[in-house]
Amino acid sequence: MRSIAEQVRAMKRRWPEFDVAHQTADRIIWFGPLVGIERPYQMMVEYGLPIVQDSTEICRRFPLVRVMSPRLELRFNAVEEAPLPHVYFDDKDLTFSPLCLFDPDQNEWTGDDLIAFTTVPWAADWLACYEGWLATGRWFGGGRHAKRDEKGAA
Amino acid sequence: MNKLTFHGPLGPNAPLGEILLAETAIRIELPPSLHGLAVDRFEAVRNHVERTDSLLCDRVRIFYPQGSMAIRATIKSRRRSDGYDIDIVAELILPPDTRPAVVLDMLFEAINGPPGSKYHGMVERQTRCVTVYYADGMHLDITPTLLIDEHDPRRSVLFHAKPEEPHQAHRRLLMNSFAFCEWFNDRTPIDLAFVEAYRIKANALYEARADADVVPVPEHSTEVGGKSAAVVALQLLKRNRNIKYLSRKGLRLPPSVMMAKFSGDAAVPGSSISGALYAIIEVALGTLEAADREGCVADVRNPRCADDRFTDRWPENLRAQKIYIQDLNLFRDQLDALMSSGLTLSEKQDLLIAMFGESPARSVIHDYSASLGRAVESGQRTVAPSGRIIPAASLSAPAILKPASAQAKPHTFYGAAWRRR
Repeated sequence: MRSIAEQVRAMKRRWPEFDVAHQTADRIIWFGPLVGIERPYQMMVEYGLPIVQDSTEICRRFPLVRVMSPRLELRFNAVEEAPLPHVYFDDKDLTFSPLCLFDPDQNEWTGDDLIAFTTVPWAADWLACYEGWLATGRWFGGGRHAKRDEKGAA
Repeated sequence: MNKLTFHGPLGPNAPLGEILLAETAIRIELPPSLHGLAVDRFEAVRNHVERTDSLLCDRVRIFYPQGSMAIRATIKSRRRSDGYDIDIVAELILPPDTRPAVVLDMLFEAINGPPGSKYHGMVERQTRCVTVYYADGMHLDITPTLLIDEHDPRRSVLFHAKPEEPHQAHRRLLMNSFAFCEWFNDRTPIDLAFVEAYRIKANALYEARADADVVPVPEHSTEVGGKSAAVVALQLLKRNRNIKYLSRKGLRLPPSVMMAKFSGDAAVPGSSISGALYAIIEVALGTLEAADREGCVADVRNPRCADDRFTDRWPENLRAQKIYIQDLNLFRDQLDALMSSGLTLSEKQDLLIAMFGESPARSVIHDYSASLGRAVESGQRTVAPSGRIIPAASLSAPAILKPASAQAKPHTFYGAAWRRR
C-alpha cells in the first residue's frame, strides 16, 4: 500500500502543476490542470487510505476524479452514453459526477498503484474521449457498465 | 513510420488546428484516382474533338490543363457537392479574325457531335468555354483559345460571347494561363517534410475509403502529397469561398485565379497550413482593402501577361468587393479560434462547419475522435506532460516526452448506466 507521502512525491514529479489543497496522513486532495486533446480542464483528485473502519467514503476505496471547470456538459440526446459517459452519477449535480476510469472487477487499480501514473493519465484519456463524445455523440474509448446489482460495489 | 512522422508538421504532436485543416483539405480535394479519371476524360475529349469527321479535325494545336488542375488545387465543385471542375484549354488553329461566338460554337459542335455520338447531350456552351458533364458530377470546362505569337507560346486570346448578346458585344481577351501556372508552381516551393506528412494522411484516408467504382491510377497516387502548404491553403480558401457564396444567389464568386495569384504572392517556404492561410489572407486583404479605401475595385493581373486581367468579371462593384473583404476578415478570426487551445473539439467542429461546410467537418471530427478512442482503448497512446493524448501508431522515439509520460497501465472505463431518477 502506497503512503500519501509517496503519492504526493509521484504527483509532484509527474504532474507538477497539480497543487495539494488538503493533506493529512491518510487523505489528500489535489487541484490541477489537465488536457485531453488541447483544451485545459481544472481537475480535482481526492484519495484516502482505507484505514477508517466501515468508511462509506468512496475515495477511500480508490481515487476519485472530478472535473471542476469548465463544467461537464450534459447531452441527453447523445447517440451513446447519454447524458454523460462513464461517470458515477452524482444526483445532486450531474456535472460534478466522479469519472469512472477503471474496472474494479479486473483489479486495474489497487492501493499499490501510484495515482500519478494511473488515475491522472486515465483521466486525460477520459477527457480526450469526452471531447470526441461531445462532438459526435459517440463514445470511442471502450469500457463497460456495471450491472444493476454491481452498482453498489462500483 | 519514422521520427519525421511524429515530429513532422502534421504528426500526432502537431497543433490540433493544423491536423484538422489538413484532414479537411484531403476530404475536399480531387483524390488521386479521380485525378487519373480526369486525365483519362481529358484525353478522350481531345481524341473526340480531333476525330476525322470533327469540325476541328487537325485544328487543335494543344490541349492543356489550366487553373486548379494545373496547380493541383482542384476541390469539389460548389455547384455539386460530389463533383469536380476540371479546367482545360483547347488551343485551336483557326484564322485569327474568327468571331468569338463562332469559335465557341465550333468547339461545342465538335464535342457534342451528332445524335448518338459519345458526348451528345452532355455538353453545354457557356460564355467562355464549353462544359462536358458526367453522371458522377465531374465536369470538364474546355476553353478554346488561339495562339497570338508562336514565338511566345501559350500567350493567347480566349473568347467571350454570350449567345443572347449581339456579336458586337462579344470580345477577345488576352490570356496566358500556362505561364501563370508556371509562375505559381515556381513560387510555391515544396517542403519535403510537409509533402511526406500530407501524403501519409491522404493515403490513409484513401485506403480506408477505397471505392471499387473508381478506376485506380497508381502513378498519380504518389503525386497526391506533392503539394506545398500554400496549395493546400489555397484549396481551403476556395472551399470557404464556395461555402460562403452558396446562399448568395446571383452573386459572382471571387475568381479562383485571383486567389491563386494572392497565394503565389504570399508563398514562403514552410510547412504550416495555417501559416500559409494567414499569409494569403494578408496579401488578399492588403490588395482588396487598399482598393476599397481608394473607392475602386481591385485590379489583379497575370504576372506573366500584364493584359491578362484576372479581375475582369469580379468584383463587379464596391459592394461585391466589400462582401469578400468581410468574408476574409471573418475567416481570419475563425482561423485564430481554430488554432487556439482554448476550445473543445466540439467547438472546433462548429468552426470547421462554418468555414468549410458540414460534410467534411463532421467526417474529420468523427474520424479524429474514433482514432483517438481506438488509441485509448487499446492503450496505444502516450500521455504528454500536459495530459494531451497522442495516438502512438506513428511513434518511434518520442524524445520530446518525459520518460515518466510513457504508457500508463491499461484500464477499462466503467460506471453505471444512466437511469432517469
